[in-house]
Amino acid sequence: MNRKTLMLAAAAAALSLGLSACGADSSKTSTGASTGSGSAGTTTIASKLIMGGPPEFKTRPDGLPGLKKNYGVVFGKYTVTDTGGPVTVSSLKNGQIDAADLFTTDPSIQANGFVILEDPKSNFAAQNIVPIISKAKATDGVKKILNGIQAKLTTDGLGQLLTKVQNQKQDPDAVAKQWLSDNGLSGTGSSASGVKLTVGSANFPENVILADIYAEALKAQGASIKTTLNIGSREKYYAGLKDGSIDLFAEYTGTILQFIDKNATATSPDDVYAALVKALPSNLIALDKAQAQDSDAIVVTKATADKYSLKTIADLAKTG
Amino acid sequence: MIGEVFTWLNDPGHWKDTRFDTGIATQLTAHVRFCAFALLVALIIALPLGLVIGHTGRGRWLIAAANTLRALPTVGVLVLLTVVIAPHFYGRTDTGYLIPTEIVLIVLAIPSILSNTFAGVENVDPAVRDAAEGMGMTGKQVLLKVELPCSLPLIFSGFRSATLQVIATATIASYLPLGGLGRFIYDGLAQQDFPQMIGGGVLVAGLALVADLLLYLVQRYTVSRGLTGRFSKKRIPDARLASVTQAEVAAV
Amino acid sequence: MTALATSSSSSPLHFWGYFMDHRSTDLSWLWSHTWLSVVPVVIGLLVALPLGWLARRYRFVYPPLISLTGLIYTIPSIALFVLIPPLFGLKSLDPKQVPIALTLYSIALLVRVVADGLASVSEDTVQAATAIGFKPLGRFFRVELPIAVPVITAGLRVALVANVSIVAVSGTIGMSNLGQLFTLGFQNSTNGPYYPPIVLGIVLCVLLALVLDRIVIILNILLTPWRKAVRS
Repeated sequence: MNRKTLMLAAAAAALSLGLSACGADSSKTSTGASTGSGSAGTTTIASKLIMGGPPEFKTRPDGLPGLKKNYGVVFGKYTVTDTGGPVTVSSLKNGQIDAADLFTTDPSIQANGFVILEDPKSNFAAQNIVPIISKAKATDGVKKILNGIQAKLTTDGLGQLLTKVQNQKQDPDAVAKQWLSDNGLSGTGSSASGVKLTVGSANFPENVILADIYAEALKAQGASIKTTLNIGSREKYYAGLKDGSIDLFAEYTGTILQFIDKNATATSPDDVYAALVKALPSNLIALDKAQAQDSDAIVVTKATADKYSLKTIADLAKTG
Repeated sequence: MIGEVFTWLNDPGHWKDTRFDTGIATQLTAHVRFCAFALLVALIIALPLGLVIGHTGRGRWLIAAANTLRALPTVGVLVLLTVVIAPHFYGRTDTGYLIPTEIVLIVLAIPSILSNTFAGVENVDPAVRDAAEGMGMTGKQVLLKVELPCSLPLIFSGFRSATLQVIATATIASYLPLGGLGRFIYDGLAQQDFPQMIGGGVLVAGLALVADLLLYLVQRYTVSRGLTGRFSKKRIPDARLASVTQAEVAAV
Repeated sequence: MTALATSSSSSPLHFWGYFMDHRSTDLSWLWSHTWLSVVPVVIGLLVALPLGWLARRYRFVYPPLISLTGLIYTIPSIALFVLIPPLFGLKSLDPKQVPIALTLYSIALLVRVVADGLASVSEDTVQAATAIGFKPLGRFFRVELPIAVPVITAGLRVALVANVSIVAVSGTIGMSNLGQLFTLGFQNSTNGPYYPPIVLGIVLCVLLALVLDRIVIILNILLTPWRKAVRS
């Protein structure tokens, strides 16, 4: 009996030791990194903060390298969270990270009182919504339908669509149909009949809604549509576009341009669009860009913004 | 392609931590730690349970129930637990992501260990058991001195397959903002850095092989030679299967 | 479309309502999930039979074959999915990459199972069959293989159940199957958890695994009538 309790206690001790080892170590690494950079000499505000975002933000030209080049901002540490998704938002909200790469249309920015830091030097290029389509599938009928949608997409409108899906948990497909009929675009017809298209989307709600809008409008006009939604990374779906596994994708002008051309420098909506049209491979074309934008932004919590009086990204490079 | 992967693995810069990148050495340690903890907990839960069920013959339904755990989709459970648990942790801690990951890995490891332990005890030659009782051993002594040593080969086999599964699956920790070798796979994919991605895969496979080899050595020196001699001639079927067959017999 | 009001509920128990609202998509994902889980095991078995026979017939083949196939099993599925298109010259999003990866896993598991199953046939039985006049090929199909059926079906069960879970992983890189439900639920959990798709995905995966498992059990009973005869 005695021996049994002893063994149980030993097991419990080993268990708690193991868990605390896991936990303690992780917290140690994060604080260790931020203080380490502080002692490096220049104690900028950024060097006290942990930045979070997608893996490619570490290497993307407008990611950490761009922040350093344009603003002299170097964060204390970078934690890979996800692409403007639930992990990033919850990590920022709960203080696992201090600054995050989020998208401007994200309703959770307002919902959580996050502050978007202004980007006066246009580190982030314009990000207008643009349908990328394979040339073979871009008949005049298809182009007309999609450009009709593009003309009606606004930044605020996008935010509202996202709120419906992300906060009110409505179905993206239903939200897409509703939007089409609200904008007088749900008419049926045959201007796209005979066209077979695969519509793809990335794995964040806004992109899924856009793909659904394109798909539903084309379907109503007689096209035969397949959808491949929620594809993980751009690496995957762009390759799919190039090799014809996907025919149509809602892209963002700045990101796709930089993905194709690492040295792209254009930042204004028109310049970016013009550069993109040139940069696309011959089998892909860009249709009209929408007025709607959904850009990357550096976002901090209200508390962090107040503590360091942050308004723009440049403020992060101040000493504090 | 293969050359680039080797270059990536050989670059000492990739092994060290820098401000924004965590090196292979640290991620390897993190990976080992995730796995070791999950396997330890699974062992503490499953081994005694399997021994007792096999010894008493009571609670067989637990074995069948544990085998249905295998049907749980790992990603789904991870996502569900993360959505439930992660928002409750504040400040500089990744416990909110660590707990879901560890639970998933523990759930993954339990069925193999539990059903193999059970099958091991169950399969002990009744004559051996009778002999032990005839010598005057108590139930507890029979279990610990006869049944446990006799079922070690099957227990090891279950633990080894659990280890392989856990090491390969621990990569999904990097689906969440956690470290481990999966980081290289997910980051490599997102950054279009294929040598990094494949290098990550190679490291996971290598770790699995090393772990299996170590367990093989432990097994070799702990399992009674009387048993190994017998088994080497008869070549027992994969223990995972033996256990499933057991569960099947119980279920049918 | 008509069910907008109900589909906005995010309670975990709402998964059934969610399923009814998205029946056609969910069923097509269930269907492709089933297909992706079963076909690789069937192909895997067809490849594993001759290999397993080789390993049984020529002892020296066994150790290297088992180590090699064991090695395949240690490659994380997410890495294997991404590796296959360049290796097999496929398009990057070719849906075939998932069945190919799963076929490799299935072969890895089943070669060993077939070899061990055949090894479980006692030497006496083989000699008896030879004495009755069976030629090697006939003996293999009519004596050794049927006796190995219980061990092989046990392996099939492990492979099928594992496949159901691995297919779900491929959903996170955009393949159309039940794994999509997890991505969908996760991505919509930014402001408060959105349980229905996640729970539905888990429920459907578990049901699928259990049904496939049951089918193999029944198959096993049908293929080994003598076991029943002995039992009763």
